[in-house]
Amino acid sequence: MPRGRVRADIRGAILALLLVSGSSRAQDAGPSSSNQASDQETFAQLVEQIKQLQQEDHDLQERIKLLEAKQPQASPGTESNPSSPLAPPQSPEETPAEQIPPAPATVAVPHDWHDVHGIQFRGFGEVDYKVLNQRQPELGTDGFVPGSAGNFYTGDFGLFLTSRLTNKTSVLSEMVFEERDAQKYDVDLRRMLLKYDYNDHLKMSFGRYQTNIGYYNWAFRSAAWLQTTADRPLIMEYASNGGLLPTQAIGVSVTGAIPSGKLGLNYVAEYGSSDTVRPDINGDGLFTDENNGNQTNVGLFARPDILRGLQIGASYYHDKISNIVVNTPAVVQLFPPPGTPGSSVRYGQTIVNGYVVYVAHGIEFLNEGFLIRDAPLHLDYSVFNTPAFYSQFSRQIGRLRPFFRYQYVNASSSNGIYDDVSLRFGPSFGARYDLNDYISFKAQLDHTARRGEPDLNGLQLQFAFTF
Amino acid sequence: MGVKSITTLLLLGLAVFSFAPPGTAQANDVAVIVSPGNPTTNISLGELRKTFAGAKRVWPGGQPVKLVTRGPGCPERLVLLRLLAMSEGEYKQYWTSQVFRGDADAEPLVVPSVGMQKEALRLFPGAISLVAVGDVKPGMKVLKVDGLLPGAPGYSLH
Repeated sequence: MPRGRVRADIRGAILALLLVSGSSRAQDAGPSSSNQASDQETFAQLVEQIKQLQQEDHDLQERIKLLEAKQPQASPGTESNPSSPLAPPQSPEETPAEQIPPAPATVAVPHDWHDVHGIQFRGFGEVDYKVLNQRQPELGTDGFVPGSAGNFYTGDFGLFLTSRLTNKTSVLSEMVFEERDAQKYDVDLRRMLLKYDYNDHLKMSFGRYQTNIGYYNWAFRSAAWLQTTADRPLIMEYASNGGLLPTQAIGVSVTGAIPSGKLGLNYVAEYGSSDTVRPDINGDGLFTDENNGNQTNVGLFARPDILRGLQIGASYYHDKISNIVVNTPAVVQLFPPPGTPGSSVRYGQTIVNGYVVYVAHGIEFLNEGFLIRDAPLHLDYSVFNTPAFYSQFSRQIGRLRPFFRYQYVNASSSNGIYDDVSLRFGPSFGARYDLNDYISFKAQLDHTARRGEPDLNGLQLQFAFTF
Repeated sequence: MGVKSITTLLLLGLAVFSFAPPGTAQANDVAVIVSPGNPTTNISLGELRKTFAGAKRVWPGGQPVKLVTRGPGCPERLVLLRLLAMSEGEYKQYWTSQVFRGDADAEPLVVPSVGMQKEALRLFPGAISLVAVGDVKPGMKVLKVDGLLPGAPGYSLH
């Protein structure tokens, strides 16, 4: 809008306000003290409105000046024909290239990326129904009610925001509302990152991140809609839901491509502070506070050009943790289960991961293996090795994606950190049906064999959606 | 109509198709276009795939890549899906997950016309897009793919 027009509009608006107020005063001609007070109030409002309009006028003038200063000088001839000798075939109705008047040479380069892109906002959610053939809950979080063989719950509801600040910096945040007991919701800031992408080889993130241990964490984050299955494999479950891995940390994460030609190598390096508190998954109501130190995680993965969709990777994680058992609602430290070294023992925790995945042509084939090694520091106690793996295969057939998954976790019953997990293994199978691009319905059957416990069967139904 | 007439017609038709100019095949080619100021002149098919998959996010000169695509159903979109070996649904899910992972700020910009593709190239210096070779306009810089221009024998995007 031209500057003169803006001024004229504002003056017109002021005049109209004065006229309206004047006419209303004429209609209320009867003198009274209440009218006088009302008039004073009206005048005060008008003065305030005039001040606001003047301020808006001033702001608009400043903005026009700013935009004019930003506008690059026109330089004739920057518009060019294709630089190649290519002479694209012309359709009969198309104007010959020579006759096309050159477009304006001024290129409106967006200087302020935040203004151009604003804040990108997305959301993810899920509504679940789970039935078990026992009344004691497994993964007793997510709103699953102890004592009930089956009930509805809402899982994670996530709000995801990104905003580009400059050419190379951006902000990302992910807030998740997790259903807890009695349908109370916890807010978890799963990710909050200030990102700086220097180039394809060096991308840095500062803040709270999801540890890049393995493929699943990286690929699916916390959105059920992105997953094929209704739940995550136990080994990849969030620590706050009873998972075994330290899934969150605050610190710095660096990643990028390694010049490697058709091998497509990438690296990831993370250094940060975790504070993992994981609930026991056997429904005893206890928590293990790992009191982590600062963790280091490094990984490499390759996406070779020779087979599109193939990704092979490995990572190495190290931290120092405790096996303190607490009852968090009462913040009472409890005695550890019999056989454990002691409640304040510190362990050096090393997690080694390797994976081979293939995702292309409608096929999803995920295979990941882990070895979690907990070695007591400064004490001559047992070293606990916890191997785990999962394998998942699915195939898209139209809107339907049937899947099969097999998982295995073997933690020592004497391991004070994972004694609630012990040995668990078994298959899951089911299907995901995409109702449209935003909503999917999943049905999943699970069979889990457990050491010292009866086998567990479960059915899970889920609506997962994004918006 | 006798058998001889039908045979003659078939032979004539065969002859017409046999001697059709090579431009007929070229018309199906899809060109890779960038902003005129982009110094890149050639891109390998692998690099192109990485670029449209969001794995390559910066041009050699440091300019951030801005992906501009046509909507579902357009020939350029079909070529893009073939390049990435994805269905339309997989493509949408792929980009949602790219954004959610933090590997991309937003999904590629979808424009409904060639004119808007051209405008996008003017607005974003790092823009890259695919356009049917017949729709290439002044103001669109065509990149070679593996050293070949659209229309050349062996050109891979069609």
